[in-house]
Amino acid sequence: MAEERKQRMTATAAAAKIPKMVRANFTANLKAKEEGRPVAFSFIVNCYDEILRAMDIVPAWAESYSGICAAKRDAGKYLEKAESQNFSRSLCTYATCGLGFEYWRNELGGEMPPDAPWGGIARPDFILGTGQMLCDPRYKWPQAAQHYMQDVPAYIGGFYWPPYDENMDQREVENYYLKYAVDELKGAIAFIEKQTQKKMDWNKLEEITDLVDRTWDMFIDAYELRKARPTPMDTGDAMNTMVPLAFMLGTQEAYDFYKDLYDELKGRIDKKEGVAEDEKYRLLWGAGLPPWFALSDFQYFNNKGAVFPAERTYREAERIDRLDLPKLSDPLERIALRWMRYWTHWYDAARKRKGSIPEVERLIEYIEDYQIDGVVFHKAFSCRTWHSGILLQAQILKEVYREIPILVLEGDIVDISSYNEGATHLRIDAFIEVLENLKNKC
Amino acid sequence: METTNDKGLALVETYYKDYGCQARAMKKAGKRAMGYISAVAPVEIINAAGFTPVRIKGDPNEAVTKAYSSMETLVCPFLLNAFDLALKGKYDYLDGIVIPHTCDSVSRTYEVWKRNFPLPYYHFLNVPHLDGAPSLAFFTQILKTFIKSLEQFTGNGISEKNLAHAVLAYNELRQAMRDLYDLRKPDQPLISGIEMIKLLVAVKALPVDESAALVRQVTEEVKGRTISSPQKPLRIMLVGDQIDDTGLIEIIEKTGAQVVMDDVSVGSKLYYADIETTSDPVYGIAEYYLEKVSLPTFYRDRGGSYDENLELRFGHLKRFISEFNVDAVILLVYKNCDPYGFEVPATISYIESLGKPVFYVEDEYSSSSSSRLKTRIEAFLEMFTQERR
Repeated sequence: MAEERKQRMTATAAAAKIPKMVRANFTANLKAKEEGRPVAFSFIVNCYDEILRAMDIVPAWAESYSGICAAKRDAGKYLEKAESQNFSRSLCTYATCGLGFEYWRNELGGEMPPDAPWGGIARPDFILGTGQMLCDPRYKWPQAAQHYMQDVPAYIGGFYWPPYDENMDQREVENYYLKYAVDELKGAIAFIEKQTQKKMDWNKLEEITDLVDRTWDMFIDAYELRKARPTPMDTGDAMNTMVPLAFMLGTQEAYDFYKDLYDELKGRIDKKEGVAEDEKYRLLWGAGLPPWFALSDFQYFNNKGAVFPAERTYREAERIDRLDLPKLSDPLERIALRWMRYWTHWYDAARKRKGSIPEVERLIEYIEDYQIDGVVFHKAFSCRTWHSGILLQAQILKEVYREIPILVLEGDIVDISSYNEGATHLRIDAFIEVLENLKNKC
Repeated sequence: METTNDKGLALVETYYKDYGCQARAMKKAGKRAMGYISAVAPVEIINAAGFTPVRIKGDPNEAVTKAYSSMETLVCPFLLNAFDLALKGKYDYLDGIVIPHTCDSVSRTYEVWKRNFPLPYYHFLNVPHLDGAPSLAFFTQILKTFIKSLEQFTGNGISEKNLAHAVLAYNELRQAMRDLYDLRKPDQPLISGIEMIKLLVAVKALPVDESAALVRQVTEEVKGRTISSPQKPLRIMLVGDQIDDTGLIEIIEKTGAQVVMDDVSVGSKLYYADIETTSDPVYGIAEYYLEKVSLPTFYRDRGGSYDENLELRFGHLKRFISEFNVDAVILLVYKNCDPYGFEVPATISYIESLGKPVFYVEDEYSSSSSSRLKTRIEAFLEMFTQERR
């Protein structure tokens, strides 16, 4: 039985529009399935956005659905189903929630499990994953899901970026990384063409690649308005406004959303409308996926005068001119290099500051640009890719930059059993006290 | 088991108990040692660069005390334990560490190792998770970058001749291991699972030529054994990753059952195929690790049906079960392990489809869980033995 969820108040009209947009995404994949149009399971930051849109594939976003189940506090039944299949509770809970769902659907002979939040997620015609654009579940989840959907083929493309090495310029090896990524994107297109019996429209792909460039720019332009004091939008809203970037990239709707957000934030700045009534502390959400079942904790911060003008999580875009991209005519090279430079463009800064690493450089940049007083990290126990190395980042930040108050919250993304609201609030209270004391000293 | 001359096994015991003692002694004599994590570090290249490769292992009997302040508990418990040992000085003789991209736990903690356990050399090896032509070409380039980095570190070139020699030396070790594994095939295996795991671990910190010689020596020793017990043991295959301790096998073998085969990453996963001697040895090395080492960190799909893909992923288990006449399988997966964890239902159903029972256990790489494990495994083996009667 789903527990009643506390509503989080949004600061912006844009964020308030998101639930409807997410619901529309799922209605779209269910409808496409009914009409016989191709539906693909895809994963956030999967590098196939342009290809999917150019080939008229309707994406069914696997993590997004698990996030919805979590936000509605209704994921437990799927996690239990997964556990009954011997999937450990320690695995990525986005994945185990989705796998529990697929196991159940398979048990029901392909019927949607009863009372599925928002009507469920369509059974895909194929799955698109990566090794390893972000994490291990990108290729292990599709493989595990096939156990319950044995007729559904999967394509896993290799997509890597050069690792950080303080003694080596990543551009020295970039060419062979780029060639590999482009070959694998070509593989994805060949796979989809085979599944759909439809050829890629290369002109359309190029147009969509241009649109994605513009969307990345517009997203950053809008988010940079949050530098204002008081900040017109904080991370609580950003956990919603990431949706068009993450799940609708390559559509005009996504671009328009960020244009509207930009206009709205400008208006709020002009009227000096902030997130908190009395903005006292400006915090950075330093790393970590959010507890989807407890987004109201952002409100708890706001009520204490603490706001989050910036976050690293879901800021998966950068202004294109900052990436120093060469002129490329092949859209696949553009897609691949854009992503690669996105991941590596903090490397030069890290090399310049002795003892630093790219992740910390990114924190420092946001701390300075957004006038941050403290950093909050969230450690989700079931996700290794985002949450390993947080202790190190906190340590290096203090070593190479300055003493800054840091709070590390612990919980999960989907599994509510990891969450203790009272204890979390007590930790937040103590952190606010630290910020207050520091402010008084200054 | 009786044997006339156990010098090789005695040496194994020494190397197992004092893991790395030989590499440490060699270091004192001016030789160099390079640590590495997981089964996918190309030891052939490390060897060709003039280092003794030393696989980083943990110790489940050692409580983790130092690692928690710098490494998150949500990572692989083996890795946390091994890191803790490093912080306690267990690997202070190493000249460097190579960390391949095997999984999120390993790749995301690269900087944690580097910062908290500083050594003159660190290298992150971006191993892809896929096979196929583009991945092979990419991995070949990755290995060439690795070679360049080692050359810069040592100041010496790594010639194709050196690489080819290292490939041959490791292929010889693989053949020697397979010959020894063959002695586990009879109804009364000539070497116990405990002895075997000790040997598998011991050779992970020895120069390759010494390893091969030791395996050959042990093979000769156990060949001379006479088995006095008329009772045929229950034959177990152990499946998992970094099982580098006798604890679990002791539990199994104390019941009278015997571990006759393994599919673990310090064991058969690395010995049941050779590196092709190609004109470009680096390509041969890349091909071996991507296509012939069966780890869940590698995604296998050649566009066939789900069942065809299962054969690509688990077909070797079928061969092992048949060749080693396995009665039952014990599958051990560590907590927080996404690559193995997501494979559990498919692994179990594949093995069960062969008519063999599977006992699956999730563990935390700590001897503190051994009594719980003991009760469960004993119950499983007892139930299975009764069913067989």
